[in-house]
Amino acid sequence: MISLLQSEWYKVRKSNIIYILFAAPLVGLLIGIVGGSSVFPVEVNQWAGALLMMNLTYALLFLPLVTGVLAATVCRYEHQAGGWKQLLALPVTRGKVFMSKYLLLIMLVLVVQVLYLGSIFVVGIVHGFTDSFPMEIVWKSILGGWVATFPLVALQLWMSILFKSFAASFSVNVIFTLPTILAINSEKFGPYYPWAQPVFMMNVGGDTSEFFFIPWEQLITVVGGSFLLFFIGGFLYFQRKSV
Amino acid sequence: MIGKLIRTDFMKIRRKGIWFLTVLGPFGVVALQMVNYGLRKDWFIQQDIYSWFYYIRNVIAFTPFALILGIVILTSFMASIENETNAWKQVIALPVTKWGVYLSKYTTLAILLVVSTCLLTLFSLGFGMFLGLDGGIPYLDLIKYCFYTFFASLPVLGLQLWVALVSKNQGIPITLGIFGVILSYMAYFLPDWLIWKWPSLDNQWDEPIINVCLGLAVGLAIYLVGMIDFMRRDVK
Repeated sequence: MISLLQSEWYKVRKSNIIYILFAAPLVGLLIGIVGGSSVFPVEVNQWAGALLMMNLTYALLFLPLVTGVLAATVCRYEHQAGGWKQLLALPVTRGKVFMSKYLLLIMLVLVVQVLYLGSIFVVGIVHGFTDSFPMEIVWKSILGGWVATFPLVALQLWMSILFKSFAASFSVNVIFTLPTILAINSEKFGPYYPWAQPVFMMNVGGDTSEFFFIPWEQLITVVGGSFLLFFIGGFLYFQRKSV
Repeated sequence: MIGKLIRTDFMKIRRKGIWFLTVLGPFGVVALQMVNYGLRKDWFIQQDIYSWFYYIRNVIAFTPFALILGIVILTSFMASIENETNAWKQVIALPVTKWGVYLSKYTTLAILLVVSTCLLTLFSLGFGMFLGLDGGIPYLDLIKYCFYTFFASLPVLGLQLWVALVSKNQGIPITLGIFGVILSYMAYFLPDWLIWKWPSLDNQWDEPIINVCLGLAVGLAIYLVGMIDFMRRDVK
């Protein structure tokens, strides 16, 4: 398992992944600096005000969309010139291959989140924020957003194994991500929509008494439930896939 | 020659889900308005904005993201037809010019997007009539705004096609496309010279036609730069 992860890492290192990872802080900087931050009253912590706006665009569009690109990237080598055959001819089980790809992906998403955190600092410096840095809120939203992408990553890994072309798995991603813009405005539907969870988890204005910004029940049922569905679906599909 | 190339390009995109996406895009934009008007119909009536004017505004507000994402997906699909099977050598080995191949890809995509835009006009007209909005049906405005958005997004089409055709790894054009979508989402805050702002038809003079003219002119320029770069590159 460890050696599989190592080989996955080796493959991914050589596939321009660095540009995709650094898109995250770039987007953060872009939203944070261009978007303007003086829309909130003075009483609000400056960081929290900027975060509220940055996180919305970031978690609404960027984070769900980029998981798909990362998932397609980690399957790219295998789709070229019979790579699946070569990989599965090794003494490894398909389950382990799937697991190691999934683990690598969620690690990459964590890197994306941490780089985004870095861009929050830079935005604060550029705007000259003097308020204290709300460490607790920030970690909650960074880690919360990360956890919320687990089911999305599972579905995208499934789609990336299924389709050879980036565009096909990306279109599945887009079809599910765009309705989020409306879903988050609906109190009835929003909390149950898996693609809207990153927005809720990263919404720093949420309820701060809980561990994350959404209640545990919602986390376990919606995020956990959709994770199980997509992960098991992808896992079973990969077991049967003819290579 | 161009006619034949376009015909082969249309043959290549059969049964790949591209036509499905061409129809789904405009349908999705109108479906979002169905949800919007379904949930908030009373609010619209109460605010006295239950009219064709505001309905077209609502449709147009969503079109840029859908259009840019559509462009990203379609251009990447187009490029991956040859990329996936390493067929570039075979295409270029035919008695065709490289600029012809590029022009044919561009034209095919433009035709698909025009079909999408026509469908958007029809779907929005249909749903608007179903809603029974106040005032007469402004056919001309509806056609005008749908096509304005399309013309204003031509530079994005040129750029995405260029990047998609010269990248081996389709992750690069798609990441660029995600940037574009986020930029168009924040169009209100952007300076007027950024091409991703143009599809929103918003500018400091409040004249959408400027975005259309810029779109056509800069679209042509980016197309030419992309084509010349494509011609000079080695076929791997």
